[in-house]
Amino acid sequence: MARGFRLSSELIAGVAVGAVIGWGFDRLLSTSPWGLIVFFLLGFVAGVINVMRSAGVIPEQTDR
Amino acid sequence: MDPIHQFNIEKIFTIGHIGGQEIAFTNSSAYMLLAVVLTSLLMLATGRKLVPGRMQSIAEISYEFVADTIRTTAGKDGMKFFPFVFSIFMLVTVSNLVGIIPYTFTISSHIIVTAALAFLVFFTVLIYGFYRNGLRFFKLFVPSGIPVVILPLVVAIEVISFLSRPVSHSVRLFANMLAGHITLKVFASFVTMLGAMGIVGVFGAVLPLALVVALTALELLVAFLQAYVFTILTCIYINDAIHPGH
Repeated sequence: MARGFRLSSELIAGVAVGAVIGWGFDRLLSTSPWGLIVFFLLGFVAGVINVMRSAGVIPEQTDR
Repeated sequence: MDPIHQFNIEKIFTIGHIGGQEIAFTNSSAYMLLAVVLTSLLMLATGRKLVPGRMQSIAEISYEFVADTIRTTAGKDGMKFFPFVFSIFMLVTVSNLVGIIPYTFTISSHIIVTAALAFLVFFTVLIYGFYRNGLRFFKLFVPSGIPVVILPLVVAIEVISFLSRPVSHSVRLFANMLAGHITLKVFASFVTMLGAMGIVGVFGAVLPLALVVALTALELLVAFLQAYVFTILTCIYINDAIHPGH
């Protein structure tokens, strides 16, 4: 259960933050709905990356 | 027998008013204070003997445990943050363990508490990262060896990934504690419900009772494990502030 919570919270956090950024972007620049669409998808990607990092599929510190 | 009732915030007394907003000392504050008092007692009142007693061993083990965690995840420089990380670890651990005891209140079952801790870590990382590295801190968002064409996309994803940290950091601890305590309460109320149903019910109630005992043991593990996860993530984030991109 703990592992499930860990991974799902990572994904949800990514999507939620992406959606909030997109919503704020739209509000400020009145580009609705494009900001929401773009940042929602980017947030989804970020969430998937978070999940893969915390599951150890890809290393925490990528070679930078 | 409302499983949510245990999370009610009750005012004990009012401290004062700030801008028309009442600042109250609640049961949540009381348990935070209790955690601080218990930690202080553990660390200060257990003696300094060469051959440690039982309580002194706990104090020494918890020090070693946190120090090892910081050294392995954030390196030697991370020990600068030992007081910060140790405070977070002891607050979360002690309050979670106190929260297992029936009729107590678990402070980390409220998202505002875990979010406050997570944002404390987040802003510590941001401010210290810029203080120590200056603009090189932005290298955190720019992985090397990425073709220029898709670099903006990767940077945007990394920024969102960075901003989502406090969210997942706080939600994880909060959701685990909330779900665990609700599960315990629901199964415990099955025992009383079945017990009220006569002789068959009493025998049926043995099953949820056994489950409650097992779940309490599991919750003890989760309480400690989530405190550890919270601490190790804090260390990983602090490591990013100290070494943003090698």
